[in-house]
Amino acid sequence: MNLAMLKPGEKGKITKMGAIGSLKRRLMDMGVLVGEDIKVKKVAPLGDPIEVTIKNYNLSLRKKEAQGIEVEVVK
Amino acid sequence: MSNTMHDTGYTIQDRKIMHHKAITVAVAGNPNSGKSTLINAIAGTRLHVGNWPGVTVEKKEAMFEHKGWKIRLIDLPGTYSLSPYTQEEIIARDYLVHEKPEVIINVVDATNLERNLYLTVQLMELGIPVVVALNIFDEAEKKGYKIDIKTVEKMLGVRVIPTVSTKKTGLNELLAAVTETAGNPSKHHPKQLNYGEDIESAVKATSAQIKNTHPALAEEYPLRWLSFKLMEGDSHVMAEVKLKESAFIEETTKHLKKAHGEDIESIMADERYALASGLTHEVLKRPELRKMEITEKIDKIVLNRLLGIPIFLAAMWLMFKLTFDIATPFVDWIDAMTTGPFKRWAEAILGFINAPAWTVSLATDGVIAGVGFVLVFVPVIFAMMFFITFLEGSGYMARAAFVMDRAMHSMGLHGKSFIPMLLGFGCNVPAIYATRTLENPKDKALTALLIPLMSCGARLPVFVLFTAVFFAASAGTVLWSLYVMGIVLAVLMGVIFKRTLFKGEAPMFIMELPPYRMPSFRSLMIHTWEKGRHFLIKAGTYILAVSVLVWFLLNLPWGVESKKDSYLGRGGQIIAPVFEPLGFGNWEASSSLISGLIAKEIVVGTMGEIYVTKESGVKSQESEEKTPTFTEDMKEIAISFASATKDAAVNVFSTFGIASITAEEDEEAGGMKPVIQREFTPLSAYAFMTFVLLYMPCVIVAIAMRQEFGTWKWFGIAFGYQMVLAWVVAFVIYQGGKLMGLG
Repeated sequence: MNLAMLKPGEKGKITKMGAIGSLKRRLMDMGVLVGEDIKVKKVAPLGDPIEVTIKNYNLSLRKKEAQGIEVEVVK
Repeated sequence: MSNTMHDTGYTIQDRKIMHHKAITVAVAGNPNSGKSTLINAIAGTRLHVGNWPGVTVEKKEAMFEHKGWKIRLIDLPGTYSLSPYTQEEIIARDYLVHEKPEVIINVVDATNLERNLYLTVQLMELGIPVVVALNIFDEAEKKGYKIDIKTVEKMLGVRVIPTVSTKKTGLNELLAAVTETAGNPSKHHPKQLNYGEDIESAVKATSAQIKNTHPALAEEYPLRWLSFKLMEGDSHVMAEVKLKESAFIEETTKHLKKAHGEDIESIMADERYALASGLTHEVLKRPELRKMEITEKIDKIVLNRLLGIPIFLAAMWLMFKLTFDIATPFVDWIDAMTTGPFKRWAEAILGFINAPAWTVSLATDGVIAGVGFVLVFVPVIFAMMFFITFLEGSGYMARAAFVMDRAMHSMGLHGKSFIPMLLGFGCNVPAIYATRTLENPKDKALTALLIPLMSCGARLPVFVLFTAVFFAASAGTVLWSLYVMGIVLAVLMGVIFKRTLFKGEAPMFIMELPPYRMPSFRSLMIHTWEKGRHFLIKAGTYILAVSVLVWFLLNLPWGVESKKDSYLGRGGQIIAPVFEPLGFGNWEASSSLISGLIAKEIVVGTMGEIYVTKESGVKSQESEEKTPTFTEDMKEIAISFASATKDAAVNVFSTFGIASITAEEDEEAGGMKPVIQREFTPLSAYAFMTFVLLYMPCVIVAIAMRQEFGTWKWFGIAFGYQMVLAWVVAFVIYQGGKLMGLG
């Protein structure tokens, strides 16, 4: 299960960061870390990118970038 | 460091305060933390905007006095971190490490404490005294956040001052804390945060190794910071200090890697966030019940699946219309001034001192027309900068990028590329300047390369003239086909560039969607003014020079009778054969195309002049308008020197008013119509319009590109590919059309 598969309104807990290199570091700098809760808020009108809430703020990223973030669904 | 500013010619004012202490203060913080507003509030008009050397990132700087201290304020680019992955981050940390400012003001968004403190933790690693400006404090209070400032100060060992930059609250306290810190740096050294036993012991070992083996480095760099960077395997720092990864790091990090895994960079990021997060939990009390915030309410509508795009397009239409509508009256005013009084005065003065006739022409058609040419862009650049700054400051720019990214990404661009491209339809020049909203250099360069394919207002007079002559019945369709052709080719070129020039990892789209905020009017005005001023000074000089150069091209060699014998005409004759396969290989067309380098609608002006004088030898309209008080000589000169530059400049003034162009076209076309009808066929006319649409960007775009990128490289590439593209497409159209029997 990765972040791109979550639907708007669904919440997940990050289990693994599959992204590598600068993308991984950039995500980590933005607070996208293993163990964090992450919630998908919206999908852009054209289907990509997505908006998520993490660490109490809103972040947008492309689905391709979200695919590298492994999550488990949290109810 | 503090001495450098006294090296040369100080004023009395400087002398008076020379015995006071001079300090450099760097301002660091996250994007959207209100950093710009804070700096504007402190420094106001003393702020100077420039670029960081060698890059396109904006650098703001101010020098002022505060209670006997001479403070040099340096605004670092907004960053989330000090890692080496973006230009902004590298600039910020290189500055801090190498320039060693006396104090860092760290602007922290009080409504987003944890993520902002992540940067604070990294700043504290540098060993430079830090003062935290806890900004947007009013909003945090309104949300019911309670921040225990005393505890933050105690835990970090730095001063923490609540501020509201939009209301100028807390600024005096902030400056007081800065000077107090600078006055007693040892007392205000940030605490050394504890990164946990494993990391700490590895750092200790690494630091000891650096000290032993490279004592010079230990002197030059903050030791703990350097140790962290070497452990993280920071390639930028490694290259800078010329240390191979294997030197001793392998040894000192062995235990750490065994316990936590190979990726020390991630371990460090985790640990820093753990510190930021622990601190946040300690000092921040958030109310349990959270009501729906205004940002969420707005986003519900603005980012709605069905409404999102229509709202965006409506907003863009409004911005486009306002930008060019606001500019138009000023443009007309400047037009009236430069073609009217300025010109008359110059003529009168030069006439009075009996200056040679050619100097009058140079002054009016070369210099004054050139000045008008520069000024005419100022209103539109001011208006555009105002709206772009507003969109960014309010938070809508990020939403615009969010909504448009999918479409733009398909051609290798970023969601934020849409706005510059759209502005391109009005005028390519402000569009190039608008690419500054793109952070990634790749995205920015590609956007700038494609902007010239957006058919700007200056190309319209050419299209209108030719469609009126050849395609009167289906003028609308033909016009549209040209605009669409530009867009289609931009998509195509985008895909090609993505696979060639910009091969490799696509820039990412990890972007904060900040809360909506009302940007402060003062901040908006300062920013707009600075940009406009810059354009005037820098671009103005070049444009003036080019305008004078074109005058010489048209009027040399001395005493030239016919345009055909001027340098421009001769150049046209030389290159004409190149256009033979495109259907317009005559010197008149090619001379017009050359003159189009200053602005594309000049093509029409030059053509008018060449064709009309060639045809009937009629005096141009200007001569009839001249007041009879001028001597016969002067009249003659004015007629013979009525250059394309002037006609063109007059046309440029109406670039931004589509209606007025259409109206003017009719008179002009009247004279030229029969000639154009004879010299072109409908097919070669269409090929010619295609060529005008696609060939090289005008000189002002060139200057804008140079200014935005700090190098001629991107203009060179744009020039090259557009020339080839224009020729190839016009060739295919003309020859293809002939094959199909349309010729």
